[in-house]
Amino acid sequence: MTTPQASDGLRPHCTIVPPYLLGKLAQLDDPRFEKAAAAAQQSLLLDAHLRQRRLEDHPLSRFDARPPRAHTPGESNRTISDAGGQEHLPGEVVRTEGQPDADDTTVNEAYAGLGDTQTLFWTQFGRDSIDGAGLPLNATVHYGKKYDNAFWDGKRMVFGDGDGEIFNRFTISASMIGHELAHGVTQFTANLDYQGQSGALNESLSDVFGALVEQLAAGQSTAQASWLIGEGLFTDQVEGLALRSMKAPGTAYDDDVLGKDPQPSSMADYVETDDDNGGVHLNSGIPNRAFYLVAEALGGNAWVSPGRIWYETLTGRGLDRQSDFAAFAQATATTAARLYGTDSAAHEAVVRAWTSVGVLPAENNQPH
Amino acid sequence: MKVIVSRSGGMAGIRLTWEVRVEEQPDPKSWAEFLNSLPWDDVTDSEADVDRFAYRIRCAPHEVVLAEPQVCGPWRDLVDRVRAANGM
Repeated sequence: MTTPQASDGLRPHCTIVPPYLLGKLAQLDDPRFEKAAAAAQQSLLLDAHLRQRRLEDHPLSRFDARPPRAHTPGESNRTISDAGGQEHLPGEVVRTEGQPDADDTTVNEAYAGLGDTQTLFWTQFGRDSIDGAGLPLNATVHYGKKYDNAFWDGKRMVFGDGDGEIFNRFTISASMIGHELAHGVTQFTANLDYQGQSGALNESLSDVFGALVEQLAAGQSTAQASWLIGEGLFTDQVEGLALRSMKAPGTAYDDDVLGKDPQPSSMADYVETDDDNGGVHLNSGIPNRAFYLVAEALGGNAWVSPGRIWYETLTGRGLDRQSDFAAFAQATATTAARLYGTDSAAHEAVVRAWTSVGVLPAENNQPH
Repeated sequence: MKVIVSRSGGMAGIRLTWEVRVEEQPDPKSWAEFLNSLPWDDVTDSEADVDRFAYRIRCAPHEVVLAEPQVCGPWRDLVDRVRAANGM
């Protein structure tokens, strides 16, 4: 067992009972050991920050005698940390995989959202976590003071609490949690450049999978779903339902302070701008609308055929980092044909959807 | 003298703009000195980060664009002061 070096006034702190044994005790279901289980859970929580600090100071090397815990494919491995209103990551660990609900709603929402995202990608697409290899899912909540944003930093998700005037806490919506994690999936697969049309695709893919995370968790069909991204994020002071609408881009909000939702729903209204990396959050409305149209045409649950087509396009070989809308549209049509046949309803729906939003020319509006 | 801070991007993709007219502030001299002391010519290009904010800051004749991680030190002070002056 390694010993942390004294630093910042901390004395070395060694423990006797190893964490894997505490973990077993913490999960005991036998009423005879109720107190022992509770004590183990408490110990794990109290020691968690020390163990994390130790791991960061002394990363496991190839000489580590203890083999890593075997990972069961599809099983999530979540850690939620609390930044305590500061901007230093990762923060203090407050909940790990299998632990019961914390007193903090934000912590529990992040934990649930990570799990729902794992569930979508594993049960529907056979993908084990966002890297396909069981990457532990880590999130930090309470980042900054009144920080009105959430983001994927390449390794973890980070959530602010919102300013309380325009934005609520950013863990409030499962679609947003799924959105952020999906950026990680894109990072590990097509890695679309975050600029212009490729960036808008990057954003749209996150909205697509974010929406599917929420719909699957709620058991909502295409017809039942709201197709809103970030529902509940705005406070009551804002005239708006959500950040974005995939079903009807441009209708999510219309507010005195924020203005009107500027998303276009077709290429006719494509936004040319230098802001927002070339409008990645604006023009994502166009591929978002296309995905919704495919789901609407096919009916049922959107994570089945539409989700599969989009997932296999993202993870297939038809894209590169700079793929634009037209290239992505062609790739989805090719994927649909491969999966379901060129004469299938799925292939026809994909072609019609992209034609409808103006990405594919009208003469493509015949299945082939 | 006027300084305009425009923030775009973020997960919401919503653009917000805050403005301060220095002459209308209770401490215009302090504001002017602060604005003139900012490292306007030292800003370097940086890559866009996913769902992070981008800040466009204008104070004639200067204009810079900063990625969120670059908004630290005096730039962070500026953004915080401009937002505070706008009641945020």
